[in-house]
Amino acid sequence: MFEKLEAYLEEISHFLSGREEREEILAEIRSHILEKAEQEYGQDTEASLGKVIAAYGPARRVAEKYLDGRQIIAPAYNRYLFRYTALFFAFHFVLTVVAVVFKKSFLMFPFLYVPSMSPFDALFYLPTAFLFDLGAVTLILYLITQSKKDVKLPWPKFSIDIDEMKTTGRTIGRIIGLIAMTALTGVALYFYVRYRTIFFVNLDFAQHRPIFTPEAGQWFSLILVGLWAISAISLAIKLGTSSPWVDAVEKALSLVLIGLAFRQPFDAAFAVPLSGTLVRWFKLSLTITLLVICIFIAADFIKALIRIGRRRFGRAAAN
Amino acid sequence: MDPEISNFETEMNRGFLQILVLALLEKDMYGYAMVRTVRDLGYEVEENTLYPLLRRLEKNGWVKSRWDVGEDRPRKFYGITDAGRSLRTELLGIWRKQVEILRQLTEEKNHV
Repeated sequence: MFEKLEAYLEEISHFLSGREEREEILAEIRSHILEKAEQEYGQDTEASLGKVIAAYGPARRVAEKYLDGRQIIAPAYNRYLFRYTALFFAFHFVLTVVAVVFKKSFLMFPFLYVPSMSPFDALFYLPTAFLFDLGAVTLILYLITQSKKDVKLPWPKFSIDIDEMKTTGRTIGRIIGLIAMTALTGVALYFYVRYRTIFFVNLDFAQHRPIFTPEAGQWFSLILVGLWAISAISLAIKLGTSSPWVDAVEKALSLVLIGLAFRQPFDAAFAVPLSGTLVRWFKLSLTITLLVICIFIAADFIKALIRIGRRRFGRAAAN
Repeated sequence: MDPEISNFETEMNRGFLQILVLALLEKDMYGYAMVRTVRDLGYEVEENTLYPLLRRLEKNGWVKSRWDVGEDRPRKFYGITDAGRSLRTELLGIWRKQVEILRQLTEEKNHV
């Protein structure tokens, strides 16, 4: 029993694990290595075996040669992975927002279950949903690959092709946007520091009247200032880098902040006397507005994730 | 060797190795003997490429194998099948055609 040889075969076996011919493959490699050591070095010792093993190659590379042509997902279907995941996640996301806003559950057993949840719960639910969608698409593409059939999958196109987004003229727009957002954030911060709110009924600051109660005013003001600040920081970073991670992080943080807005009880948020009908109307308008904003931000977030995925795939393919 | 050329060589060897193995196996041989025979002819075969290739050829019915446990060490011998011989004839035809095309092209270039 040669320790080096057995350890090497064990390592190869680890990478071949689950294959029925494993034992035969290992027996053949063992026979080859022992014979080569004896023929070329006169005897099979640990030292000579070490040299033969080194020449045979790293265990993982050896194992991969037996697995050649056994992809999990065929290269022709790679591009579908992120696009389909994005579409499924977009659908999942919209249902989640509806479940949060209208307090409804959705069940399509065994493919989908979106329970009624609070906005805070949704922040934890959405990453799980994304991973589920990615796994489900991977499974479908895996089964298609294993079937070895030439399945022609539909290729849905987004209205804006994210691969063809032009950079020309964007820098000027970003500079203008950065100036505007920085100014807006600065002014809002000034009002917040001075009055603890940025929402007023009148513009007479000597006798200012806030729209919301002190607690709700602080909450909504900080969220809005936070959104503007994130936008300003993101625009500033994007002047120096085109990394899609900037967009992804910006959109994720924005979604979190908007999610937090739903945590504030809206019915008792007003400092000014309003009729019940008016409060309900305000609440509905605000919910719909936030919902629309969420959908747009989520769409940008998904596009950023696809760009990240494509870059990674591109780099992997280039290697 | 330049890594770019090395990559091209690996690609070219892939096809060549299949014809080489089918040509070698007219007589039953085991892996290490094949490596030595080819080396004596002035060509190096990567051992870790040879065995997976033999396995693929066997799966497709172009070669057959048997374990010989009579010697001091068990050895797996391979031999070509009738289907393998037909394949070898086809592949050699393709190879000759490719060589002829390249010969004509390089000769034309030399004349220009």
